Amino acid sequence: MFFKKKRKIKGPDIGRNISLTDYLSDALLVFDSKNRLVLANRKAKEMFGIKEDNVLGKPVLELSRFEKLLPVINALGGELKIAEKEPVTIAKNFIVEVTTVPVLINKARANTLAIIHDVTGEKLSDQMKSEFVTLAAHQLRTPTSGIKWSLQALLEGDLGPLNDQQKEIVKTANETNNRVIGLVNDLLNLAQIEEGKYLRNRALNNIEDIIESILERNRQRIIKKKIYVQFNKVNAPKILMDKERIDIALTNIIDNAIRYTASGGKILIDILASSQEVEVRIKDTGMGIAKGDQSRVFSKFFRAKNAMKVETEGSGLGLYMGKNIIEAHGGKIWFNSEIEKGTVFHVIIPIKKKFGEFIPSSLY
Amino acid sequence: MINKILVVEDDKFLRELISHKLKSEGYLVTEAIDGEQGVEKVKKEMPGLVLLDLILPGIDGFEVLAKMKADPELAKIPVIILSNLGQKDDIDKAMEMGATDYLIKAHKSPAEIVEKIRSMTAE
Repeated sequence: MFFKKKRKIKGPDIGRNISLTDYLSDALLVFDSKNRLVLANRKAKEMFGIKEDNVLGKPVLELSRFEKLLPVINALGGELKIAEKEPVTIAKNFIVEVTTVPVLINKARANTLAIIHDVTGEKLSDQMKSEFVTLAAHQLRTPTSGIKWSLQALLEGDLGPLNDQQKEIVKTANETNNRVIGLVNDLLNLAQIEEGKYLRNRALNNIEDIIESILERNRQRIIKKKIYVQFNKVNAPKILMDKERIDIALTNIIDNAIRYTASGGKILIDILASSQEVEVRIKDTGMGIAKGDQSRVFSKFFRAKNAMKVETEGSGLGLYMGKNIIEAHGGKIWFNSEIEKGTVFHVIIPIKKKFGEFIPSSLY
Repeated sequence: MINKILVVEDDKFLRELISHKLKSEGYLVTEAIDGEQGVEKVKKEMPGLVLLDLILPGIDGFEVLAKMKADPELAKIPVIILSNLGQKDDIDKAMEMGATDYLIKAHKSPAEIVEKIRSMTAE
């Protein structure tokens, strides 16, 4: 195994044993088939304050006497369960993500690698960003609400009648203010999208339940618009996914179907499942997407002209976000559409039940 | 039929604008400028509806909502959240806590809010 070999370096470093694993920026602990520690790289020794003499050869559970290792050992258990970016709080300002990789030889576990990645900086940064977004939302929206409401009061004649000239100016001021409100909305959505690129909390979830809850949330809207919705469930297998984000992605597609389908129209949702993947097909009899617009549908801020006529307030970010989320799951999204006939959106998400099927690049 | 509405809103300008509109539409309006006062007034006045802001000095809107739902007398009173926070987490949290609806102030005019109130009682 490459990590057991230590190369003796000639020259100024004579006598120093250097292991390739010391060049990793993450902490690495390697256990043998009996779950005894056989290697702790330099970062692991730094992170947990341990010395090789005290830890090598020791079984996992004995390592829990080291204060900083204890939470990690607790999370993994004596059998070193499979974990993928599992968050572990070691101390108040010390949060890590632990990933274990079994090394199999002839289907038996020969070694287990535990990779511990410090995410304290990322978490703090995430937290600061959320706080900023919340603050910005409130600060910017309060005065613009005040302007909106007072201009509306003027326009509705609540404060006395307006002459034509006054009405025109107030109308323009109102529209301008609505544009500012729209911009604030877009900024908030963008901040959320950037967060959306980094999935968190992946767990096995049922995609049909998610669709069911989206339809439930929109029930009143669907009834009011007299749209016939048919959802064909097939008891698809659970998929490893970030439930909240997949919800956002599918909501954006279904939301469009409802929005751009006229009263009396139909929406058909089908699920196709194979052993590798689950496909969701959302078909509507709505206004469709013009050929000239189709290449830009997933672009940031893009809104088709026919869409803008029906709904002036859309941000043009829904499908951009949805595509990011689906692709972050290793999936695909595409559509077919004909103007005034309707649109079919296809979303495929691969089924990844076992760790190790994930593309390594998605880990970092 | 709702005839009395409690408005819990700390921003004076917004509070006056929405109260004015509600009064001109024939509703009786009572106001609270923070969370504590909000809880007091709900108990005292038993309004038919509460319009509740979330960011308030002292205890916030979520706490006011929680206190209302914890009291069997007050739990029946419908609550419409009127907030400028619009993140999915906030909306989900409020709806799970029993709010009847969630409106973003910057997106809805007072007339639209009145319409929401009317359609709520018409159901």
